[in-house]
Amino acid sequence: MIKFEQVSKTYPGGQQALRKVDFHVEKGEMAFLTGHSGAGKSTLLKLISIMERPTVGRVLINGHNLSSIKRREIAYIRRDIGMIFQSHQLLMDKTVFDNVSLPLVIEGHTRKNIAKRVDAALEMVGLRDKAKSLPITLSGGEQQRVGIARAVVNRPPLLLADEPTGNLDPKLSMEIIRLFEDFNQAGVSVFIATHDLGLIARMKYRTLTLKNGQMITDGLDEQPNEGLLV
Amino acid sequence: MSLLFKGRAQGAESVKIGMFQLIIMFFTDHLRQAVNSLGELWRSPFASLMTIGVLGFSITLPSTLYVLVKNTEQISQQWEQASEISLFLREGVTDASAQQLLTRLRLWPEIAEVAFISADEGLKEFQALSGLGDALNYLETNPLPAVVLVVPTSKHASPTSAGILLNKLRKEREVEIGKLDIEWLERLYALIGIAKDLVTLLAVLLFFAVVLIIGNTIRLNILSKRDEIVVMKLVGATDAFIQRPFLYTGFWYGLLGGIMAWITVFIILLWIDYSMQDFMEKYQVNFNLTSMDLSTLIFMLLVSVSLGITGSLLSVQRHVKDIEPR
Ligand SMILES: Nc1ncnc2c1ncn2[C@@H]1O[C@H](COP(=O)(O)OP(=O)(O)OP(=O)(O)O)[C@@H](O)[C@H]1O
Ligand SMILES: [Mg+2]
Repeated sequence: MIKFEQVSKTYPGGQQALRKVDFHVEKGEMAFLTGHSGAGKSTLLKLISIMERPTVGRVLINGHNLSSIKRREIAYIRRDIGMIFQSHQLLMDKTVFDNVSLPLVIEGHTRKNIAKRVDAALEMVGLRDKAKSLPITLSGGEQQRVGIARAVVNRPPLLLADEPTGNLDPKLSMEIIRLFEDFNQAGVSVFIATHDLGLIARMKYRTLTLKNGQMITDGLDEQPNEGLLV
Repeated sequence: MSLLFKGRAQGAESVKIGMFQLIIMFFTDHLRQAVNSLGELWRSPFASLMTIGVLGFSITLPSTLYVLVKNTEQISQQWEQASEISLFLREGVTDASAQQLLTRLRLWPEIAEVAFISADEGLKEFQALSGLGDALNYLETNPLPAVVLVVPTSKHASPTSAGILLNKLRKEREVEIGKLDIEWLERLYALIGIAKDLVTLLAVLLFFAVVLIIGNTIRLNILSKRDEIVVMKLVGATDAFIQRPFLYTGFWYGLLGGIMAWITVFIILLWIDYSMQDFMEKYQVNFNLTSMDLSTLIFMLLVSVSLGITGSLLSVQRHVKDIEPR
């Protein structure tokens, strides 16, 4: 599903964020990406959603080389990828319903279909009764769940999440991870970047670890290296 | 269709709907967006009015001048119809044969009226007008020729056809010299021509400025919606989709500016019309300012709308592209 081949990324200004990263997340897999702050996790996710382009190497999704994707086509790529951001990226002056329906409106669904799907997505994240609220009036966890509902509302085959449990307490974090597990069960490939090692430790999922832009472990990580938290 | 996942339907394709329903959806979507954009303008009425005002006045000025120039042209046509040809007759042409010439000329289809001024009458008139008075009595013979004044019909009154008529008249046996005083008319025409060019130039400059102003307004609009645009791009909106509401905003600026121009032009012309009443009565000219025809009105609106859309198009193409999620 996601394949990196010897990918390096150097930002303009010389900051090398990724060095020869090589990995493959299979279709239907759920995997975590971890590493210290500044290790390059967000950069790696941005290469998948084409918010950045690799300096060297190839990124492939479902076997398609992203370097052959033209600027105009990027929008269509993003419709296939559900993205969840640490900074929510919600429209604060629009209702929860409007926020969640945005991907469907952009794709040109019928009103009826939009209402049905948004309802289902909000049901999944347990916010059906908040459809008419503004995001500002919601708690951090609720806002995060609105973001998740928006990411899954058009049923993408791939879900990316950057620090989805950022500022949430352990119980809420676990709830959100359970939500991802549900999507994964339904056949969606899920790739989550987080430095919440405690959370990962409680589950038996594949964990990829970055350190200074290099992939240092790629596999089932049962004993997270505490040193990484520094 | 998805680019990455074969067989994954995106958007409207994912549900089976008919062609007819798709077309209906297309129009309702556009209508909704158009109304939304109008609502946006309504929400900041002061800023919107300023932009609409700039556009409206910029169209008012050349439109008013255009109507004035057009009317001046009409007036000059009325004057032109009063243009006369003077035929100075040869020495020795008797008054009787002059009368015969007059009878002949009256039959010409190009000629509306003829009048005869005999040499004696001419001298008397000259005496009276010149103030030389009795001094002229010392002349042994009357040096003035008899004159025939010819007024062409309105159809033959324009400088060119009057010129043709003049050449024909010159060939008459009794005629020594023929003279058509159209120089001043030609000058007037040249002036009107220059005025027209100036109006065009002014219009082009103003329109250019309007496009820039609308473009800048839309640019500020886009920048103030930066966050929203970033989010839309993150969830897969194309540039075209993001641009659409701004194009509608440009359209509304144009339409409302055009309507405003109608109203101001109308008021200005009414006012000029009123203050020219006196003048018109004195000169007995028909100055019909308020009669702006429908095609002119529609043309003004079209110009206005296309200026609005052009301005916003230039702006969105540049600035929507520049906003990228980071
Ligand atoms: N737009 C940018 N321009 C220049 N350098 C950048 C840019 N974005 C990130 N970097 C640098 O690249 C490196 C990796 O950053 P990245 O955001 O991928 O880290 P991260 O693993 O997501 O960290 P965190 O856990 O703090 O979010 C950092 O050193 C950062 O300073
Ligand atoms: Mg990060």
